[in-house]
Amino acid sequence: MLSGIDYFVVIAYMVGILVLGLYFARFVRSADDFFLSGKSLPFWVIGMSIVATDISAMDFVGVAGQSYRFGVSVGNFDWLGSIPAMLLAAFIFIPYFWKAGVYTIPEYLGHRYNDGVRAVASLTWIIFFALDVGVLFWATAVMLEPLMGWDPWFSIIVTAIVVGLYTFLGGLTAEVMNDVVQMIVMFVGGATVVVVGLYHAGGWGGLTDKIAAMGEAYRNHFELVQPADTKTPFPWTGILFGLTLVMSNAYMIGNQAIVQRCLAARSVWHAKASMLCGAFFKMFIPMLVMFPGLIALAMYPGMEDGDQAFPTLVKNLLPPGLRGLLFAGLLAGLMSTIDSILNSTATLWTKDVYQRFIRKDASDHHYLVVGRLATVILLIFGVITAPLSKLFPGIYVAIQTFLSFFQGPAFSVLLLGMFWRRATQWGGLVGLVGGISVAVLLFIFKGRLFTIEAPFLYISWWSFLAGVLLNVVVSMVTRPHPNGRLAGLVYGLPKVPQNSCEAVVC
Amino acid sequence: MLNFDWLTWVSLPAAKGVFLALFVISGLLVLLIPKRSIYEGVENPRWWHNLKLWALGVLAIIFTIYVIF
Repeated sequence: MLSGIDYFVVIAYMVGILVLGLYFARFVRSADDFFLSGKSLPFWVIGMSIVATDISAMDFVGVAGQSYRFGVSVGNFDWLGSIPAMLLAAFIFIPYFWKAGVYTIPEYLGHRYNDGVRAVASLTWIIFFALDVGVLFWATAVMLEPLMGWDPWFSIIVTAIVVGLYTFLGGLTAEVMNDVVQMIVMFVGGATVVVVGLYHAGGWGGLTDKIAAMGEAYRNHFELVQPADTKTPFPWTGILFGLTLVMSNAYMIGNQAIVQRCLAARSVWHAKASMLCGAFFKMFIPMLVMFPGLIALAMYPGMEDGDQAFPTLVKNLLPPGLRGLLFAGLLAGLMSTIDSILNSTATLWTKDVYQRFIRKDASDHHYLVVGRLATVILLIFGVITAPLSKLFPGIYVAIQTFLSFFQGPAFSVLLLGMFWRRATQWGGLVGLVGGISVAVLLFIFKGRLFTIEAPFLYISWWSFLAGVLLNVVVSMVTRPHPNGRLAGLVYGLPKVPQNSCEAVVC
Repeated sequence: MLNFDWLTWVSLPAAKGVFLALFVISGLLVLLIPKRSIYEGVENPRWWHNLKLWALGVLAIIFTIYVIF
């Protein structure tokens, strides 16, 4: 349980976040303000917001648990699994999306291919985000119950009101400004655990000595690169092909919650710089989420459940006050992820579904209202579905697995769409749907096909490859869009003047 | 084949070399980006607007991390 000063820190944090979010509500006057902050954000705000969106409290617990079991190789997900992709996004993809003036990635795919590809991509993200909100609400309740003594429903309602209010009123601006605060709180809270933990473990030297003394089983615990035939989920081949070449690019370039922030940059330079700024902060994340697992291994070896590593450290090492700070950090991680999902889903629904298929020519104010209503509906859906996590404990893993089916094929469609003008609308649709089908089949038969524990990295790679092959084969036998129709959407085809009948808007 | 068994002969130092080479190649590609693209959207360019420096800085740090671990 938290002490009095811890309660004060946590409640002060929640009130502060709410007040800050409501302050920025005054700047929302149009749909453009609500979804893209009126394209006014500086790079550093977006960079910090990207990191806050990417990291949730589950990373603190889950990654510490993985590093307890498998060592530093889990750090590949934040280093190799982010940095090269963020550079690629900064210099190649983000400037293209920003200049195209789109609100969402599916919107770009719709311009590039057709409405079918746009609908499949958009609805997949909406389903994923909608299910994820409930899981995140439940995770917040689970975290608050033992420490604050709050009933789960009370925790869910409080979190929904705080996050919902500032997201509903302040849109993306309130969200990213709160993300900045939340990232700082997360960094301070996480760094506190690492510094105090390292002190108790005898410094870095003491930590490595203790783990090295545990014997042969821990020989590779400080090796980022694991053998191709390792039984852990992180063989170097999977890290290279599945993570570095596919999953990280799909996440950093194709994830609406990440890319939407860059689209809100005040200039194309700020859009590029935001990704590079995010990459810089991202390099510190493994130190905050991975080191606690190693410290716990050195101090409390033999735990059966690695996910207990982080809570054990917090419980045994942190004094009152610091415990509240860390708890605020974990809460910040959850809230920043929930607010991003709310706004991104509202954007996807309003721009890709409502404005495209239901009502095309309404006023700007109408779409602002629709976006806000979508936020409220998703919030209520998240609250109602939150207890599903209790009824079905594997739902979080199931949702992440569902996303991994989609990421490889979605990236293949995006990549070919941007770099190969011959890719046709039918090629894109077959590549996307066929690639997802291949991923599902590989998952169903994973026991027969793969030798490692959790082969999601390999599934991503092979489904990506299937998406590319299907797209190429179908594109070669179907008719492509004329070059004028693709201007500004494909590399090497500059945008034509808007008064031309071949412009994208015609 | 699906498990990349055909790459089990690659030693760990060589595998690490693949990742380090990836960072070096990324750095070289960054250096090839045209100057007009780097400063696009900046009215009065200063040295710190040079995004190549930002990217090379990030790559230098991650390169160091992979050399150490």
